[in-house]
Amino acid sequence: MGGRHRHSDRFLLPMTPPFPILSAILLCPVVGLLLVLLTPRKYETLIKLTALASALGTLVLSVVLLFIFKPSVPGFQLIEHMEWIKSYGIHYSNAVDGLNVSMILLTAIVIFCGILVSWSVTYRVKDFFANMLFLVSGVFGVFMTTNLFFFFLFYEIAVIPMYLLIVIWGSTNKEYAAMKLTLYLLLGSALMFAGFLYMYSLPDARTFDLIALKQNVRFTPEVQNILFLGLFIGFGVLAACFPFHVWSPDGHVAAPTAASMLHAGVLMKLGAFGILRVGVYLLPEGARHWADWVAVLALCNIVYGAMVATQQKDLKYIVGYSSVSHMGIVLLGIATMTTVGFNGAIFQMFAHGIMTALFFACVGFIYDGCHTRMLDELGGLSKQAPVISAFFIIAGLCGLGLPGMGSFVAELLVTIAAIGTYPAIGIISIVALLITAFYVLTAIQKAFYGPANPHHADFKDLDWFQFIPRAFLVACLIFFGIFPDIFINWVSLSTKTLLGIG
Amino acid sequence: MDLSLFVPELILLGAIAYLLCLTLSSRQIAGSALNIFLPGLGMILMVSTFFTLGHSGVLFSDTYRIDMISQGFKLVLALSFLLVAVLSCHRISIPRDREVEYGIFLSTSLLGMMMMTSAVDILTLYVSMELSSYSLYLLSALRRDQRAPEAGVKYLLFGAAASGVFLWGMSLLVGLSGTTSLAGIAAQAPALVAQPAFSLGLAFALFAFLFKLSAFPLHFWAPDVYESAATPVTSFIATASKAAAVAIFIRIFMATGLSAGLIWVLGILAFLSMTLGNAVALVQQDVKRLLAYSSIAQAGYLLLGLLSGTLEGYSSSFFYAFAYVLMNTAAFLVVIVVAESSRHDNPQISHFNGLAERSPFLALLLLLGLLSLAGIPPLAGFTGKWILFSAAMDQGHWFLVLWAVLNSVVSLFYYLTLVKHVYLKKPETAQPILLSTGTKIAAFLLLVSLVLLGVFPNAFITFTQQAILSGAF
Repeated sequence: MGGRHRHSDRFLLPMTPPFPILSAILLCPVVGLLLVLLTPRKYETLIKLTALASALGTLVLSVVLLFIFKPSVPGFQLIEHMEWIKSYGIHYSNAVDGLNVSMILLTAIVIFCGILVSWSVTYRVKDFFANMLFLVSGVFGVFMTTNLFFFFLFYEIAVIPMYLLIVIWGSTNKEYAAMKLTLYLLLGSALMFAGFLYMYSLPDARTFDLIALKQNVRFTPEVQNILFLGLFIGFGVLAACFPFHVWSPDGHVAAPTAASMLHAGVLMKLGAFGILRVGVYLLPEGARHWADWVAVLALCNIVYGAMVATQQKDLKYIVGYSSVSHMGIVLLGIATMTTVGFNGAIFQMFAHGIMTALFFACVGFIYDGCHTRMLDELGGLSKQAPVISAFFIIAGLCGLGLPGMGSFVAELLVTIAAIGTYPAIGIISIVALLITAFYVLTAIQKAFYGPANPHHADFKDLDWFQFIPRAFLVACLIFFGIFPDIFINWVSLSTKTLLGIG
Repeated sequence: MDLSLFVPELILLGAIAYLLCLTLSSRQIAGSALNIFLPGLGMILMVSTFFTLGHSGVLFSDTYRIDMISQGFKLVLALSFLLVAVLSCHRISIPRDREVEYGIFLSTSLLGMMMMTSAVDILTLYVSMELSSYSLYLLSALRRDQRAPEAGVKYLLFGAAASGVFLWGMSLLVGLSGTTSLAGIAAQAPALVAQPAFSLGLAFALFAFLFKLSAFPLHFWAPDVYESAATPVTSFIATASKAAAVAIFIRIFMATGLSAGLIWVLGILAFLSMTLGNAVALVQQDVKRLLAYSSIAQAGYLLLGLLSGTLEGYSSSFFYAFAYVLMNTAAFLVVIVVAESSRHDNPQISHFNGLAERSPFLALLLLLGLLSLAGIPPLAGFTGKWILFSAAMDQGHWFLVLWAVLNSVVSLFYYLTLVKHVYLKKPETAQPILLSTGTKIAAFLLLVSLVLLGVFPNAFITFTQQAILSGAF
């Protein structure tokens, strides 16, 4: 009860920090977007530099945020609060806790690298960077807001530019993939929408504020069960939960490189984040009620994603299905409903976000140079392009859970928690890691070793500029792999609070 | 009686008289005079309505009421008229020798709609509804090619039938309550609402409003009339007429209240409107027909707010009506310009191919207009839907809300199909589309207001709530 009481004090007297750093992070891409829109089309370099500057701004601010953030303080902190639509209980309010502070950092890292990787875009440069910045504004918004209205608003802002990014700059069956992705995600969001409005209509609610809903509304067990189911399906679509994952491999493959990075790296995490932030936070009973089912679905994700990945010939499809498999680990962590599982899930969200961004950054570069992503048509790339090959192999090793990489710790935590709660599922998920190792190593062996394909003789390795973003991602992976306690320290108090044991 | 409250309508009457005189002058002079006169009239109307906004009063032996509902809706109507007037310089299928008549009927129909928002007596209500309807019947027949008579006749037949049923229903209401004034009916409504005849009368009276709103089952005219009328006329029917219908719905429901049975009926109609509109829109090739079916679906969403019967329900319907005028006009603006540039007043989806290359600005406007219609943030349509559905959910209509949000997803499919043609397909001619200054300003203001109303809706939401409170009987 102590934690709850402190909550309410903070809600009544919102501490407005001296500098609204969260809004500043959100405003960086928004201002960048406006500047890009105002720049005439022909100044392409200026547009790219503007986008880069705003991405760098978010990165710097989100690192500053990590130092301001106090992991030892329970509940939300750095709350920013402003009335928006008074009569409907809609406030513009942002806050951080252990759940989102790392997600904000992840988004900043991925967008920064994504902009750098997109330097080679030449077609409709202005529209491309405008869409990227718009998308990332939505992502930041979802991670930091504490109001369901803004949660939904930012969520949809993150989805729609994706459609344009895929349809205009994409490849491989892009019209089909873009429409499929958009309709699936919006179908999920329709369920969220209905769920949010239902919460609003409950007795004593009349607000969309998460904290106020938590304090004022008594969700009966029946309501919790129904609402959690609806919200889980809604968020689960975005988190690529089996059987709603079908949009994701197609979407990842069709999207242009930077959009794939953002999409697999960050956007899918919005779904898992939503399950924790809204689902588990407001409806803990409902979450417990459905936990067994979530665990089963998560296992399907892990095993099914890995099995399908073994059969793929296209590098990008392999990465796409590996994402489905890895998101299963996140969901399994959530299903355990334990602190260790939650910590592992959030860590996996972070590590997988960076890892998969690195994957797509590498595949995109190979595709630009070789004009193919088919394993059979590649081969021996490590001789002529050792650097990009090394980056891909690092990402692959991280994907199969090599110790010393971020994913290892995350998967370890989730597996420990899973064996405690669901022994059978936990053991099967360990076996599934072997499948992951199999397809990752097969792909590496086929694409980068073996006889070289003479068609790609003129394929050039990374230049120093293209080296930077990929090296940065690798550095993050290794840093958090070696010092996982830094990360666990950020999240552990919040996950305890979330489970009501803080 | 304070006639200063009636100034906007008086100005409009004067303008109509002037236009009648203009029919006597040479056609060529009249046609070009119209291009300046109509937008000017729209602006004067907006300004004069704006000055009456805070005032209230009752005119003409208690049959005509000025309050914030009426003046707010009049402002929306005047805005819609202004936008159509600006776009009228792109009229390509209005016969050259009927241009002044076009101006006259546009103005008389606006006069009818403005009077509808103020009518608080069944007589004034009927007269103003018929004034606006007959003007629209004539307008929809003003077209140079063969399609004209079809649309006019269809519209007239359906409209006449609806208005006949309306009179029948109203006669029941008047018979039960013994008065023609809405305030009188409102005073007796609590005692009468349990009587089946009262609900039946109200349901029949609703026929005429459902017809104006193009909601199921009175939607049949919409696709044909939208398709066959000249595009600026379609745009006027699709925006102003809908806003006036919402105003009159609010007025009547506030007077009579809603019985449980009526809520059921309206709920079923809303369900069918949404489903049918969106399902049929999926297969349309003619963009005007597509927008017609989309407007049937939107009528379903609006009914959701109206059947909630609460302050939030009515005020969010008001909000959505305004947002709808903005976003639909944005879509029609692009349709009108594309129609003009392709010399074809029934643009097909293929006419929009590569619009993004011919005019990035228009493409953006169409994109935002359509996304707003689909309810995508941060646009006006999104905020409108959010509060509309909140109001309905608050009254326990969770199934309708769920169905409506699922429908919004379906609607996105056909909106995005159009967007795909705009951004992805190669244009037949690379010739850029040039906009006149007036259209450019209108387009820019629409773009900005769609975003601003979506992101900063608080002021307008507060206004609509005050308006509904001020309109209580």
